[in-house]
Amino acid sequence: MDCKFVPAVCSYCGTGCGVLFEVIDGKINATLPMKSHPVNHGKLCIKGWNLHEYINSYMRLKTPLIKEDGRFQKATWDEAIGHAAVKFNQIKDQFGPDAIGVLVSAKITNEENYLAQKFTRAVIGTNNVDHCARL
Amino acid sequence: MNLIDQVEQLFIQDKIDIFLGYKALDGHLLPHGFTRDRMEELKALQVSEGRYSLEKIATHLTEKHPDIRIGMIARECNLRTLNLLYTWKQLNPENIETINISCCPSPLKPHSDCSYLEPKQTGAYKKTHGIDFNADPDTFLDDFNNKNRFSRWMYEFNKCIKCYGCRNICPVCFCDECSLEHASLVEPGTLPVDVPIFHLIRATHMAGRCIDCGLCEDACPMDIPLRLLYRQVNAIVSDIFDYRPGNGTDQSPFTIIGEKTVLEPKPMDAQLEGEKEYGL
Amino acid sequence: MTIKRIRFMQELLTFFGLEGRLHLEWISSAEAQKYVQVVTDFTEKIRQMGPNPLKKIDAAVKGAI
Repeated sequence: MDCKFVPAVCSYCGTGCGVLFEVIDGKINATLPMKSHPVNHGKLCIKGWNLHEYINSYMRLKTPLIKEDGRFQKATWDEAIGHAAVKFNQIKDQFGPDAIGVLVSAKITNEENYLAQKFTRAVIGTNNVDHCARL
Repeated sequence: MNLIDQVEQLFIQDKIDIFLGYKALDGHLLPHGFTRDRMEELKALQVSEGRYSLEKIATHLTEKHPDIRIGMIARECNLRTLNLLYTWKQLNPENIETINISCCPSPLKPHSDCSYLEPKQTGAYKKTHGIDFNADPDTFLDDFNNKNRFSRWMYEFNKCIKCYGCRNICPVCFCDECSLEHASLVEPGTLPVDVPIFHLIRATHMAGRCIDCGLCEDACPMDIPLRLLYRQVNAIVSDIFDYRPGNGTDQSPFTIIGEKTVLEPKPMDAQLEGEKEYGL
Repeated sequence: MTIKRIRFMQELLTFFGLEGRLHLEWISSAEAQKYVQVVTDFTEKIRQMGPNPLKKIDAAVKGAI
């Protein structure tokens, strides 16, 4: 039997509220707001309060899926990334790079967002890149 | 005998399996479950100024391990909560050991160990349009007329973002089914929330239950003076029913079916059921 | 018990600012006169108070959406 509290940052929006995961026997059981966190001072919104639910959800995707014959099939990461690369190249060759757009997210880090825009501009070759927080 | 030695003694005498206290991590005092297997961690045991609901953690632990013996740091508010949870059969008093601490400042200890002993600050706009955090229920009734009270409460309630934080953090909210999630009482998926139904449902459910710990007000992102509301609710309960929640282990006057209302603890693991259902 | 619960609700509503809009009375099936009197008095009282302020707010909120 084991009970510990693991501080983390809420993964929903860009605000970055501090949360505490209540971990009982190695399994996340509840989410609490972190009282001493400078961002949220012990307060959370409804999404933050339910952060633990998707982590252990049985609906959660654990492997990439590729759609074949109208059905999603489990695949490895190499297969999935390879598949996406082939399709991107096909679209780019057929319709030009401006046929592709990339939407990035507040849920990933600044560095990942930077990489995503670099990928869009340098690899794909289009300026069609946007961010969900730029509403 | 200091706190750490006391806890060590409890472990040595085999009175507890786990001790709930606070431990510093990167400058934050966070709750932590100290166990016999990792006694060396006890050196870091502290009393935190910010309070977390240790009793709620104890009920979660009891859900998973019904016979677990839990030790915990207990302030006065924790003791009231524990009494209430014993009354409602959510915890077994035989399985709980408390180490009582005083959170008030004293000549030996100039600071208070509780952020609630510092009065909350109320802004000027809130004072003129809403309700002062530190208002006294009686003077609030005398100072404002019926219409004024109504508009002030509506100002406060209309800010609600329906985060359910007040319910989630509440150490005495343990029901299996929550009225606030009942579709015919509170419409799911809509904002603004059904004002004032949402808040009045919660207020009536706090009657005979609220032990005035103030955690809800602290967790409210919109600064609704919930503590004042629940304090008045329990002042009424105390007037009419002569019942003060948490002051003993008497049954609440709102226990409709009498001795038999033992609320079932939440299902151990709803997720396992879901997994079975979906064949995963 | 009912009388205590209703008193609780009345005082809660008073605190919230809806004073006097809840009334409890015991009337036997033989007390037709009393029934008429209580209902008439209470209706008159409510009429003087005017419509429930919540109704207006509810309509305003619905209109805003």
